[in-house]
Amino acid sequence: MSLLKPFSKLPGLNTANILLVESEEQLQQKLAEALVEETAVTVNVRLAKSLPLPMENEEHRPRIDLVVFIINLTSELSFQSAEASLKYLDPGYFLGKVCFTVTKARNASVPTERLDAVRKLAASLHCPLVFAEDQTPDGVTSAAERLLTILKVAAGLVPMATALYLSNLTRCTVPPDIDQPSFD
Amino acid sequence: MDESIKRTMQRLVRRIPNQLLKPTLDKWGRLTAAQKQSLDFTQPKWALTERLLALCEENEWTAKHIIELEMIYVIDNPNQGMWYAFQLMDPEDDAASVELAQFKEQFKSHLRELVKHVSVKIKKHTDEAVWIRIAWGDGFTRPNHLKPTYVVHHLQTPYVFVSSLTSKQKPLLSQALVLSTRYNVIKDANLSGRKLTAIRDLLMRQYQQVFPTKFPSPLTEKNETVSNPCIEKEQSGAAANRLQMACEAFGDGELPQLQSAVYKLETKFKDPTNKTMTEQEEPFKCVIKFASTNLLESLKQCATSGIASTPVTPLLSSIPLKGRNYFVITDNGPGPTTQMHTSQK
Amino acid sequence: MEIRARSRKVQPHQRGRVKQLEAEAEELRLQRKRLKAENQTLETLKKLRTSMNKQCTDEEVMQMEEDSEDSQLLQLMARHTQLTDLLQAHHLIGGYDIIKTRQGKGVCVSVATNYEGVYLDTYNLEIDLKPKLRISRHNIPPFIPLNSLTEQCNLQSHFRVFLDTLSCHLNAFTGRKQQLKLVKEQQKSVEVMESNVLCSLLVLMLTVSKGKPLVLCTLEYADHTSCLPTRVHFECEDKQLPDSPEWKKNCSLLIKTPVHKALMTMKTMGHIV
Repeated sequence: MSLLKPFSKLPGLNTANILLVESEEQLQQKLAEALVEETAVTVNVRLAKSLPLPMENEEHRPRIDLVVFIINLTSELSFQSAEASLKYLDPGYFLGKVCFTVTKARNASVPTERLDAVRKLAASLHCPLVFAEDQTPDGVTSAAERLLTILKVAAGLVPMATALYLSNLTRCTVPPDIDQPSFD
Repeated sequence: MDESIKRTMQRLVRRIPNQLLKPTLDKWGRLTAAQKQSLDFTQPKWALTERLLALCEENEWTAKHIIELEMIYVIDNPNQGMWYAFQLMDPEDDAASVELAQFKEQFKSHLRELVKHVSVKIKKHTDEAVWIRIAWGDGFTRPNHLKPTYVVHHLQTPYVFVSSLTSKQKPLLSQALVLSTRYNVIKDANLSGRKLTAIRDLLMRQYQQVFPTKFPSPLTEKNETVSNPCIEKEQSGAAANRLQMACEAFGDGELPQLQSAVYKLETKFKDPTNKTMTEQEEPFKCVIKFASTNLLESLKQCATSGIASTPVTPLLSSIPLKGRNYFVITDNGPGPTTQMHTSQK
Repeated sequence: MEIRARSRKVQPHQRGRVKQLEAEAEELRLQRKRLKAENQTLETLKKLRTSMNKQCTDEEVMQMEEDSEDSQLLQLMARHTQLTDLLQAHHLIGGYDIIKTRQGKGVCVSVATNYEGVYLDTYNLEIDLKPKLRISRHNIPPFIPLNSLTEQCNLQSHFRVFLDTLSCHLNAFTGRKQQLKLVKEQQKSVEVMESNVLCSLLVLMLTVSKGKPLVLCTLEYADHTSCLPTRVHFECEDKQLPDSPEWKKNCSLLIKTPVHKALMTMKTMGHIV
């Protein structure tokens, strides 16, 4: 069981490395293609279904600056898989280098409890939560842009900003009345 | 003209879709060139039907001719209705040398012995299949051409495919088939579907199966897409392995299109937290049905994407492996293992 | 001119004969040339092969390359023949491609079929080893009696015998199928009236000549491990025809040679169109 560590390797010059974890492998590829479009910095994308990552890639895997968990809200399995993968991350990552992305949040078949569970999870880990639209190319591009913003900070490419600082501003918060029944 | 012939014709023309009407009639070849000219295929169906009925009267077509037309249509469009597979077992020594003429004669005579009024028409199709159309009557009524049974058999193979057969006619057909193909037993193969071609391919193993080989498999070569050097898959080895497993279980290329798979569970309820249910003596009966337009493709996709675990559970891989889509699962004595049990309906 | 005029007058047919012979001689000469060239190539190939086997020195290779323009092609051809020979040897000693599957709990055997040097379909069997040998998966068509073969040959103790018998059945089946395919391709005048999935029965319609009655030829392959028919039967409106000596000969020809070759011979002899 190897933990993925944020500072075990040296960073590359003007590069940012992002790891996308999605058990269903649906949005992953599209998002990766949108992410590497970025020209200002070199973006390397690693795709995984779940953590831990295989040992044999250990050597030539660059330092991962941001880990993104993509959760499909229509599937319980997707949420469980992300939850199980969290164990294999070094605690150092939770200082602003982890981000949750949910898809299909507008789907009618999504139980509200699941979205609440994801929000609670993100809030308890002090991570930002990004909603993404995976059906349209525009939705994918805008999701990629938002992730890029976080990634650049996490990779230390933005002067005067650190991941920890950003996460204090962007982390998901749970409204205090989330567990109370609504009366409308 | 006979009223029943008229009705059969009417029903048949209604069944054939507009765009297929012309080619089917051409293939039939009973219309003269002038009559063909006089048919306007842009007309609505009812008008065409009227015109064909008039021609029917004019040419004095009999039931035989109408049956011919129907068979042409059904043979060319076999993927309609529900087809059930039956398996012949326990062959006699001469089963491998039954030839068409002999089979035709035997089948007809055996069936006529059992049912007085029955109309049987046998036609050999180019792909070595023998098509049998049976219109059933009983002791007093004449054969009903409106609800014929279709039987497809490939000589020298142990499989028979049947569509629209009632339980009353089943023993009659079974006996005639067993006697004329020189086998001893016929049993339900527990496979059914809307596409005759699919269930035939599945049983005759005419779809592309994948086996482990020591040569680099064409699967990996095919799936190598040109990707961006900046994007790398961490678990590509595992993904390739899953794909190989899925292909070994379900096959590659175009898979036979099955619409459903049914599992009938007759196992005991097991849940340590629920005592009342677990302690019950009788098995907990339930039926699980998977339905899809292309079931095998869906299951394969599940295994490839990792939604279903690999290696694929025997419950699912048994569908292509055993060529059936109806299973009864019973407890195999005491113990946690469930065993696939063949059911004899 | 004079000679030609005379010959035209006196012996027109002899002149024709001379011409024919001349043409024949020319053709034979051409053939000799061709054979010589072929022989030369074979010689070079042989040399290459021996040098390949001996792991020759670089000098020789260099020399070879200078010798012929298309030496690369020859090299490849030599390599090809070497490989096919190896493959043939592998099958001669009864080799099957067997690999272990599922960490040694099973094996996968592939049985390749060939007919007249052409590789046809490959069939596979996946076999469980424990608790006893059992075929778990295969892609052998249902009309090959796999179950009775396993019983007959006793799969548990005589695995090799089983594989050999199975291979025999499969080779014969694909061979018959290939013959049928060749007949359909090569003999446009022959109509295939009936055949079955096992290719164990073949009914052909043969045309003797225009205007004469057609001959219905039935070939039965009762021995499913053979590519040759066990019974040949002719049917014709002209009752005498099947009993005539030349059709008797045709009958034995069809029994002894593969059907597509026999039909070809019958065609060149002028018995059928």
